[in-house]
Amino acid sequence: MKGKQGFVLILLIIIPVFISGCWDSIELNKLSIISGLGWDVDADTGQVTLTFQSIIPSETKGAAGSSGDGGQKRGNPLHTIQLDSSTGSSAYDALNRYSQHSSRRTFYQHTQLYILGRSAAEQGIYPFLDSIARNPINRPNVLMVVSEKKARDILSIQDGMESIQAMGMAAEIKLSAEYSQYPVVTYLEFAQRLLSETTAPLAPMVGIIEQAGPEGVRVKKTRINGTAVFKGDKMIGHLNEEESRGLLWAINKIKKGFVIIPGANLEIVTAKSKIIPELQDEKIKITIAIDEESNLLEYDGHREISSDLLQDLEKGQAREIERQVMAAVEKSQALNADVFGFGDTVHRKYKKEWPVLKARWEDIYPYIEVVVKVKTHVNEIGEINKALMRD
Amino acid sequence: MAAGQFNSSASLSQNLEENLRVLREALGSSSDVIVRDMKISSDSNVDAAVIYIDGLVDRALLNHDILRPLMFNLQLIKDNLSHNHKSLIDYIKSSVLTVGQITVVQDIDRVIARVLTGHTAILAEGATRALLIDAKGWETRRIEEPKNELSIRGSKESFTETLRTNTALLRRKIRDPRLTFESLQIGEQSKTDVSIAYVKGITPENLIEEINQRLQRIDTDIILDVSYLEQFIEDSPSSLFPTVGSSERPDVVAARILEGRAAILVDGSPMALVVPFLFIEGFQNPDDYYARPFFAALVRWVRLLGYLLSIYLPGIFVSLKTFHPELFPTQLLVSVAAAREGLPLPVVLEALLMLLLFEILREAGLRMPRSLGQAVSIVGALVIGQAAVSAGLVGAPMVIVIATTAIASFLVIPFAEPGALYRFIMTLAGGLLGLFGIVLVSIEMLSHLASLRSLGVAYLSPVTPLNIRGLRDTFIRAPLWAMDSRPASLDSPNTRRQSSGQMPRPPKSSSQQGDTQ
Amino acid sequence: MSLENGKISSFQLSVLIIGFIFGASVIIAPGQGAGHDAWMAIALGLTEGLLIAWIFTALARHFKGKTLVEINSLVYGKILGNFISVLFIWYLFHLGALVLNNYSRFLELELYPATPKTLTLILIMLVCASSVRRGIEVLARCSLILVTLTILMAIFDTLLVVPHMDLHNLLPILDIPIGKLLWTSHATAIFPFGDAVAFLMVLAFVNKPEKGRSAVFKGVLIAGLVLIGVAVRNAAVLGQMNAIYTYPTYITAQVIDVGDVLTRVEVLVAINLITMGFFKISVAYYGAVLGLAQVFNLRSYRPIILPIGILMVILALTNVSNTAEMFDFANNGYPIYTIPFQIAIPLITLLVAKLRKLPQIGGDQA
Repeated sequence: MKGKQGFVLILLIIIPVFISGCWDSIELNKLSIISGLGWDVDADTGQVTLTFQSIIPSETKGAAGSSGDGGQKRGNPLHTIQLDSSTGSSAYDALNRYSQHSSRRTFYQHTQLYILGRSAAEQGIYPFLDSIARNPINRPNVLMVVSEKKARDILSIQDGMESIQAMGMAAEIKLSAEYSQYPVVTYLEFAQRLLSETTAPLAPMVGIIEQAGPEGVRVKKTRINGTAVFKGDKMIGHLNEEESRGLLWAINKIKKGFVIIPGANLEIVTAKSKIIPELQDEKIKITIAIDEESNLLEYDGHREISSDLLQDLEKGQAREIERQVMAAVEKSQALNADVFGFGDTVHRKYKKEWPVLKARWEDIYPYIEVVVKVKTHVNEIGEINKALMRD
Repeated sequence: MAAGQFNSSASLSQNLEENLRVLREALGSSSDVIVRDMKISSDSNVDAAVIYIDGLVDRALLNHDILRPLMFNLQLIKDNLSHNHKSLIDYIKSSVLTVGQITVVQDIDRVIARVLTGHTAILAEGATRALLIDAKGWETRRIEEPKNELSIRGSKESFTETLRTNTALLRRKIRDPRLTFESLQIGEQSKTDVSIAYVKGITPENLIEEINQRLQRIDTDIILDVSYLEQFIEDSPSSLFPTVGSSERPDVVAARILEGRAAILVDGSPMALVVPFLFIEGFQNPDDYYARPFFAALVRWVRLLGYLLSIYLPGIFVSLKTFHPELFPTQLLVSVAAAREGLPLPVVLEALLMLLLFEILREAGLRMPRSLGQAVSIVGALVIGQAAVSAGLVGAPMVIVIATTAIASFLVIPFAEPGALYRFIMTLAGGLLGLFGIVLVSIEMLSHLASLRSLGVAYLSPVTPLNIRGLRDTFIRAPLWAMDSRPASLDSPNTRRQSSGQMPRPPKSSSQQGDTQ
Repeated sequence: MSLENGKISSFQLSVLIIGFIFGASVIIAPGQGAGHDAWMAIALGLTEGLLIAWIFTALARHFKGKTLVEINSLVYGKILGNFISVLFIWYLFHLGALVLNNYSRFLELELYPATPKTLTLILIMLVCASSVRRGIEVLARCSLILVTLTILMAIFDTLLVVPHMDLHNLLPILDIPIGKLLWTSHATAIFPFGDAVAFLMVLAFVNKPEKGRSAVFKGVLIAGLVLIGVAVRNAAVLGQMNAIYTYPTYITAQVIDVGDVLTRVEVLVAINLITMGFFKISVAYYGAVLGLAQVFNLRSYRPIILPIGILMVILALTNVSNTAEMFDFANNGYPIYTIPFQIAIPLITLLVAKLRKLPQIGGDQA
């Protein structure tokens, strides 16, 4: 009797599973894997255009295709992606319209980038951010990028070296962060800054340039050329190359890279920075303390490589770094956007006074006194220790 | 009473003809039943008969040491009879026959039973008792290399089908007087000789009692192989995992007995059962003990991980492709998706079919006559696999997965069968419910394993219930000089195995010369 | 009259408790109401939890080898005792259903949006039922392996996420009003720590009852420390998003990305959840089933396993109408609702036992 009951029970479970099919199962070849998502908003109509860059897997088969038989299907690196766009009144509206007309299910879990069109960024990207946070298919590591003009333009560029363009651009962004030029901002970091209420969210900006490619054909390439600065969810300005650098110095995101001063070129080994706030009678003073170590790479002068020379180089470096940081500070104060996170550091140190300060942060920020203290040190001087030509 | 049984209280009568008639009736008129009449007294008035089954006895011994003394000592026998020193039977036993094992019996059925096992019976006129001589000898396989449990460094002997040879092999490994062989006969028709081997004082008493109880409860007609016994006495017949261990190597069995276990040997089977059997033993291998400890530990881990791989890999692969493509790193996903283009079957079915194909190939390879076996497996694997991929029926990644699984499944022989079954279940679970299904089935499997006992010992010890000392021989193989005590889970009365502190060291007093010379 | 013949060691008890406490803590992040001070809320909650543990282990020590149902009968007499026992059983039953609910919602959100909850619930329940049927010994044996795996995975996750941690995210300390901190810490005290009172049905089977108290303390403490570590890690990685994300531990694991290959580690978190959830539900399930069998003097608790399981599934389905309600109840309603069960019943029973000068029972009685 017992055995029979158990048997019936098991049947009751197994049968519905088989009959109704597997609800969540997906067939890989019925998926359209989205590698990049672009968000554009038409300034006049407010219509949202989403651009989807999806991967065509069969075209990515390069040399490692099937072996043996003669007719190898080689992938064409220029056709590995497919671009679609869809317009609607909101993000999900556009998304739905796309899904309806696609022959495959869209799969967002491998999206590498979210590209925000400039006009969309200026109008405010909150609806986009919210839908991403809420929907579990989105991952916190996805990179945020702002396009100089329209997101769609960026996603359509295929530069041939990377088979999947979005991955290539993501790699490029990460590399640029490695070389300490522009920040890399993931969705998580963007959201964290947004939540902080005083810190300004950032995102690298990407533009399109034309270059001479193989066989004289003009080829379009993407290039990162700035850092977009947001206030809340609206983009209000941007930092140029130098200012972006300065920003990275201040927020401790310098990794590798170079410092170029008149007559010499040094390679950064390590760099650390600390933001130290001070509150005196309701006046805020911030000290940015930077500690840097570098190696000498190029030296144009003909002086002896002596410790005097090194000291001069160190001073020159410090000046240059300070200049970059101050450029960033000035721009951010001009924009009245706390890109450095000064607010948060004040909050952490002066917990009690913070609520009052926070309320007036808009007024306070442009007038914060910022002092940059740089300590540099040149370690290695390379393989030769005397100039090749003497004065 | 079943046919062929006889009244067990029947004794031999004094009349030889009467006895012979009963014997002939019982044994039938098969051509291999030999009854050799003779006269064994010099005045030729004492009839006797030697009864044996041709093919079961050692003919040389029979002729030389039984028939010859009987027939050559006619005068002596007559003298003994006339002086009435002893009864005829006792006299023959004590002074005439030049053989080792002689027993005296009174019951006819014992005579019959023993003759059937290869004994030779001697009956005489006027004697109510008979002599049974163990002069067994038949064609048997010689001691060869173990077919399934090859060891690189260790001995290459394996058990054979003869019980006596096997007990001898064990005796040679354990020369302790406390090594005991308790004998039983099981099986109505087969009357198979079964021996329980253990060392008194090291194997716990209650284990032996329990084994005896279980064996005596068996009521069946034939015990062909030791695995029949296994199926009658095991703790969890419905479980997929074996709770009784087996081995065809005497060194393995001897080592296990000395850990506190008992072995069961069956005549006709080249395998010995060893109980209790713990899960962890499936991952132990005699070579582990003959190789160096660190390497042995590494190999054990490889086995464990490989085994887990062989169960989980197809299931995980299927579940990832079907439910969780987000879990692949992006590049991998693109390759896998590319391979998947144009394939007709859903991933689950593809996996199940491939697994089925593998099982078919494996089984066919086993049963195939030796000459064809190689060809079939190679042809089958390569050609079918390759052709299937090229024809677009199956994806290349799937073939890789199944091939790896196939090879890994041979890492752990005792669990190869449950492994294969669980592999199917996991694949099904993965295909129907994704990782969640796999985890649920795994929990259920773990829970099941945790509930198994092998003759009183928890199957998963020494991992759980946790026994730190026992862990010395599970995931690692502690050096032999560190294994001071017997496994605690086996509850042996004598746990001290060797003296501690035997780590070999270079001699303290080194000569002053050092390295010069 | 032994419904349960198994015995567990005090070590196994500790491990069971750790697994039980980890139970739903992957999902309902303890201390989440306190933002980045969550770790402090957990630490305070741990202290209160240890107090609760002190109370109920005192009761267990007084009546060694007896489950709560038996104790109630001894202290209050059969009728009143059974009545109180039934209330407690309801608490356990409800707990099981709550965890089932948490569990299925998480699965639904993160992994399987389209699969009907009923099916996932039934499957989980069946696996738990099968283990409950095998008895407490088997649960204890499974616990060691699963809990070890979980802790290893947690360590692994944490190590991989170190480059993304920014301990400054934990500052400033005590950023929330004290009142809120205390409330959140009390909420953490009763879920997950206080739920350990369910072990009043299990303590009876420890083979050395005098070690029961220390085993419970060890288990609660270790689990608490791990949870604090996890809270610190989550806050360091997620910053202020920690308080917003529904399942922060899962998101933290998503951040892991080593060389583009070792990604998608969040699946390990999901596995942790499934295994530890299995524990918590099984222990609560076991307690409820055993308790009912004792109240109604059944010969074995096996026949009622499945019916109780089905009822639990039904309760899990109908309990709350949406996830927001689930969190609301967990954070606001549960802390009050459990006071009678976690604190009042053991405490009052202990006091009454002392007042009535009932003799201490040492060891098992047939």
